[in-house]
Amino acid sequence: MTEPKIKFDQVTKRYGPLTVLDALSLDIAPGELVTIIGPSGSGKTTVLRVLMTLETIEEGTIYIDGEPFNMMRSGDRLVPASKAHIRRIRAKIGMVFQSFNLFPHMTALGNCIEAPIHSLGLAKRDAVKRAEELLDMVGLADKRDHYPSQLSGGQQQRVAIARTLAMQPEILLFDEPTSALDPEMVGEVLQVIRQLAAAHSYTMLLVTHQMGFAREVSDRVCFFDGGKFLEEGPPQELLGAPKNERAKQFLSKVLEAT
Amino acid sequence: MDWDWQFTFDVVLPRLLPVVPITIQATVLSFLLALALGLGLMLLRTSSSRLVSIPAGEVIEFIRGTPLLVQLFFLFFLLPEVGIVLPPLTTGILGLGIYNSALCAEVFRAGILAVPAGQWEAAKALNLSAYRTYRDIIIPQSLPPIVPALGNYLIGIFKETPLLSFLAVAELMHASKLIGSEYYRFTEAVTIAGAFFLIMSLVAAGLVRLAEFYVRKRILH
Repeated sequence: MTEPKIKFDQVTKRYGPLTVLDALSLDIAPGELVTIIGPSGSGKTTVLRVLMTLETIEEGTIYIDGEPFNMMRSGDRLVPASKAHIRRIRAKIGMVFQSFNLFPHMTALGNCIEAPIHSLGLAKRDAVKRAEELLDMVGLADKRDHYPSQLSGGQQQRVAIARTLAMQPEILLFDEPTSALDPEMVGEVLQVIRQLAAAHSYTMLLVTHQMGFAREVSDRVCFFDGGKFLEEGPPQELLGAPKNERAKQFLSKVLEAT
Repeated sequence: MDWDWQFTFDVVLPRLLPVVPITIQATVLSFLLALALGLGLMLLRTSSSRLVSIPAGEVIEFIRGTPLLVQLFFLFFLLPEVGIVLPPLTTGILGLGIYNSALCAEVFRAGILAVPAGQWEAAKALNLSAYRTYRDIIIPQSLPPIVPALGNYLIGIFKETPLLSFLAVAELMHASKLIGSEYYRFTEAVTIAGAFFLIMSLVAAGLVRLAEFYVRKRILH
């Protein structure tokens, strides 16, 4: 078996007495698209947030390309990772947020060149060229000089995707990318994600409530509740005929609503 | 009360006008010092290490909790005791700057806290360094609420400069007191000093409005 791109090994995250991730383990292969579904407030977003280092974990190890991420090797022991180590590996990961989190004081283009210039060290010309290509890819070439407040939600999220891709990540995390959107704008964002999934050049982790979309694009779906993955499998199987009792309940409620 | 125009033009104005630049200099330098020290205090105050943030908070409380005049006297009379002899104007600028830095630190802190958490998270996800995150993302967004508050402190410092007359700094108030006691006439000198303060306050307030407008246009669109 090839080395997993992402590996969670017994990862535990607690908020005070509340255990959000309970000795969670997960392997994701390079190029795989894994969707995490589960009840609201179950903490499935936390899986992405600890991977992006927006949250620290109490126990366990996360590996990227076989290399420890939250920890680092020192001789034959693992010690807590230094800032430089985390920054180096974090460069492989990009994240798209539910609420876009675009920088409101920068144009669409400005959002897409800030980090490539100052974090990757690209020359401004190259960064602009690449950002323009990406804005074109998400269908917003004509909006490059618009500020986020002048864009619709769907357009803002597409800029946010372009901004993430501009950092040339290998791993893409999507945290409920369409949950904050008006229904008529969901399609345009899903279309962009569909395009990225079809290319298979990224390893992708998606948290979503769009079951139809999850079924269509995922290689694997994981049902998350109570800090653990209770069931995982190919989308047809898990979404069509779940075995776990909680997954069954959840899916029957969700599918009823749509 | 009688008003002597002759006295006003022959004595008061020629002696007060040349001191205006000293008042302006004291204000501007104190304000710049307050901004720089305030930014530093804010960074210490918001440090993730409690060993740093708690003492910084105490220092801010101490500075805010004692009268400016007491602090000025403290610097003026006690620094020479430990062998630091500074010119009165420098002591005054130091005192005004330190006092206002504590106030500015709180303004900065409030401005930074007002920036949504998602902005920090996006900066982190884009692997920006702490320096870049502050410089390009957080500080620009914290400016719109900060600038009007800082403007008030600028005008506040300006109106506090007469306290420097207690340190024998040759600013406006000090000069008008001297005229008063020399000629036994206070009416013209004190009135003109007040008028100067009013005019400069209005000009400063106008400049602050302009800065607010500029920042809002640049940041909020």
